[in-house]
Amino acid sequence: MKRAMWESRTPGLLTALYIALLLSACAPMTSKVVDPLVQLQQPDGSVVWQKEYRFVPPPAPWQLIDLDEDDYSIAFMKICTDGYPCQSTLAYAEEPFGYSRDFEERQAEFFKRFLWASRVNFATPELRKVKIMGQDGLEAITVGIEPVLKHKVRCKILFFRRGERVVAFYYTQWRDEGKSFDTADETDFDRFAESFSFLLPSFYERLFSQSP
Amino acid sequence: MEGHQRNLYLYERLNARVAGVSRDQVDTLKYWAEDLGLSFPVFSNSIGHIGIWFETLEAGYPMFSRKTVIIDKWGVIRYMQAGHPDYRAILTLLKQLHEEEATR
Repeated sequence: MKRAMWESRTPGLLTALYIALLLSACAPMTSKVVDPLVQLQQPDGSVVWQKEYRFVPPPAPWQLIDLDEDDYSIAFMKICTDGYPCQSTLAYAEEPFGYSRDFEERQAEFFKRFLWASRVNFATPELRKVKIMGQDGLEAITVGIEPVLKHKVRCKILFFRRGERVVAFYYTQWRDEGKSFDTADETDFDRFAESFSFLLPSFYERLFSQSP
Repeated sequence: MEGHQRNLYLYERLNARVAGVSRDQVDTLKYWAEDLGLSFPVFSNSIGHIGIWFETLEAGYPMFSRKTVIIDKWGVIRYMQAGHPDYRAILTLLKQLHEEEATR
């Protein structure tokens, strides 16, 4: 009899527990979103990342992207509300697409793979020799069109060398085909790239100079 | 595969050679390797026995999974890792094997 009563009450208890859990899930969130870069910030405003990179992060509303792949080493994203899509990304990549150590060959290989999953058709990039961290580099600027969804993406890629490897800064800005690009985000990207420096030799440099 | 192509000059310095193995047919692989610009050999193993030897068949899953295998010059398997290649771990081990070669 007692057992029967317990069994008959159990669904009710579970329902009450379930409702309590639902209600607790609806309670206002009191914890703040933690910006991981704040704790790493130096007195001059720069951030030391993984003891290896120093840079000045772009200002809010740029947000650090939690990376679960190795396309980028450090990346920030900024979302806007002026239509769809409306977002910009800036990044430093230790292993940009492609494999050549010659800049011009590398950019051609790069654009064969970059944003491949987004089915973007890129215009021939405008190439310009630049200096990055005092060394020779290559700037490649192009616009890609996604012809089905009518989206466009402006890309600015800065290829340069870290040791003998080619590394890169990426900038992309997505907009609807009918909207114009926002140049302010690109200025943030340029500042980020200018502020960037390496505090340690790379893994590849260490590989042949000492035990990594 | 592109990562291995990117590291090919380092593999050569470390006296290592890389080869890819796939279940695709030769013609498919020729086109694919050419499109990706691969300059190392890619073998077609359409029957799949190499995948079985290296235990790339996951239980309950009918397809071969990706696996990186490093075999030293004496034919001993020194490394097997499923999933996306950890290029830094690969290079670190190749450097160690290269140093071992010099002392044997």
